[in-house]
Amino acid sequence: MMFRHLFKLIWNKRKQNFLFLSEILVSFMVIFAVFSFLTFYYQNYSKPLGFDYKKVWSISYDNGLLTKNRDSLNIFYDNLYKSLKAMPQIEEVTYTGANFPYSNSTMSTGLNSNGKKFNPVNSYVVGADYQKVWNIKLVAGRWFLPEDAVTKNKNFIINETLKKQMFGEGDAIGKLIGDYDDKEKMKIIGVVQDIKANGDFWPAGNAMFTRLDTGYFRNNSHILVKVRDGADATFESQLYKFMTNTMKNSVEIQHLSEMRDAKNEVTIIPMVIFIIIASFLIINVALGLFGVLWYNINKRRSEIGLRRAIGASGSSVSLQLVMEAMILATMSLMVGCFFAIQFPLLSVFNIPASVYIVAMLLSILFIYLLVFACSLYPGKQAAGIHPAIALHEE
Amino acid sequence: MIRLQNIEKVYRTDTVETLAINGINLDIAKGEFLSIMGPSGCGKSTLLNIMGLLDEPSKGNIQIDSQDISSYSDQKLAKFRNEKLGFIFQSYHLINDLQVLDNVELPLLYRNSSAKERKRLATEALEKVGLSNRLKHFPTQLSGGQRQRVAIARAIVGNPQIILADEPTGNLDSAMGNEIMDILINLNQNEGTTIVMVTHDENMAHKTHRLVRLFDGSQVQ
Repeated sequence: MMFRHLFKLIWNKRKQNFLFLSEILVSFMVIFAVFSFLTFYYQNYSKPLGFDYKKVWSISYDNGLLTKNRDSLNIFYDNLYKSLKAMPQIEEVTYTGANFPYSNSTMSTGLNSNGKKFNPVNSYVVGADYQKVWNIKLVAGRWFLPEDAVTKNKNFIINETLKKQMFGEGDAIGKLIGDYDDKEKMKIIGVVQDIKANGDFWPAGNAMFTRLDTGYFRNNSHILVKVRDGADATFESQLYKFMTNTMKNSVEIQHLSEMRDAKNEVTIIPMVIFIIIASFLIINVALGLFGVLWYNINKRRSEIGLRRAIGASGSSVSLQLVMEAMILATMSLMVGCFFAIQFPLLSVFNIPASVYIVAMLLSILFIYLLVFACSLYPGKQAAGIHPAIALHEE
Repeated sequence: MIRLQNIEKVYRTDTVETLAINGINLDIAKGEFLSIMGPSGCGKSTLLNIMGLLDEPSKGNIQIDSQDISSYSDQKLAKFRNEKLGFIFQSYHLINDLQVLDNVELPLLYRNSSAKERKRLATEALEKVGLSNRLKHFPTQLSGGQRQRVAIARAIVGNPQIILADEPTGNLDSAMGNEIMDILINLNQNEGTTIVMVTHDENMAHKTHRLVRLFDGSQVQ
């Protein structure tokens, strides 16, 4: 019954409460944005990485001075592979396109299946031992074999996300899929676990893996090696010298663990800055709410005195003021939710609806807690108003 | 109905101690209409606040309806005020953002009565003060006399045994004041409500059963 009475009181005073309502609405929208980011990042972070980066080094080189003759180029790279593999500190070696995990390169294409286009799809050109270097788990089918070089249809492997989009829970192995222009059909031979190539906080997205054929060596400039436990700075120096002597050109060795940190920082640093700015805003809003509530209580001293006189205890006056603030918050949240719900409905930024829904629920909870915290002290102050004094102030 | 024994009220600041009420002894019988008069600052309102349990005496004992309320908690005092006492103030103390009917319903909100019951009782109370045609008006749309009548309706809606009126006619012209006084007399005579009224107006005071005069916090008559 008190709820209806308070709602009526607030509704009749909606113009006076406009500032309070606006403050809560603005803070809800800011908090919704922050929680959307955080939920999105957390959802991605909680998914498995899909590969092992810890002992992987990337070797980037410039092959511009090498021969353009394909056969001698193949022999050169075959020898290089064997030399690297023969090193006791190296466990696995693979050639790779430039867009390996944590690199800043991307290569994407589109695929066609049953008249439906899947775009974009991250396209990874990979060597035979790419799976071993990264310890990528196969979910179905198989990894590339040497005989894949001579098949009628180009064989390729897709990740789980793309498989689910294309076939749902159905089988993907052996299915023929059209390339970007749907002119050439390619055959799926395997499905691998999703790999979060852009860092811990970003989704794997759609991915396909094609075999690096010998013709690709002309453009290739990256080798990935998985080193053994004893591989230290001395070995890195030896490896660097070996590669420089072999390539006769500039070489750069990077540790994937460092590249991962750098990649994650690109997400974390702006997020931290955003959270700090939002926190300052929320502190301002909290102080504003506190001030508005305090001001309202001082304006309503005679009403509070009257309520005490006609039967309200100190605690019920305090509860009433907290409830009023919560009702006001509810009114603002209803407007805020109307705007917020458009994000999942319209699939804004292609982010899963669950991210927005969770962010919305967290924002509602946060705003209620904020308003509750801001109204507690003014409510307590109101409870302390002496009715005999308040009733004689006018 | 109300028994005040040796009531003292002292207001203290860091440097000054002011004796507002000094050893008041007063017995008010059930159904009595008593008025309190005295110059400004003599302690009339303080005494009324003590009777209304809005203020605590510094010393002395107060009994209402044979109950010693000195040990009552805040919750219990609030319930007691809600059930036994009705208040009328010089400046009405109506909530301007609520309609007349909602203002009158206010005391019933602190009881377990249904919305339907509250509406019925508030309408009846407003009928008693002749304002049944102003239920949906806001206080700012009413004259001073009408506002005080709303305040009386609010005071009687919970059917209290005692009404404490602090200069109920103080803000009204004599015609309006007489109207309000008639309502109070009617309540006293027909409903048997005990009324304690603080007033500056001798004419109004002489309409009551008994007059108590205060001067500098002490009872002089």
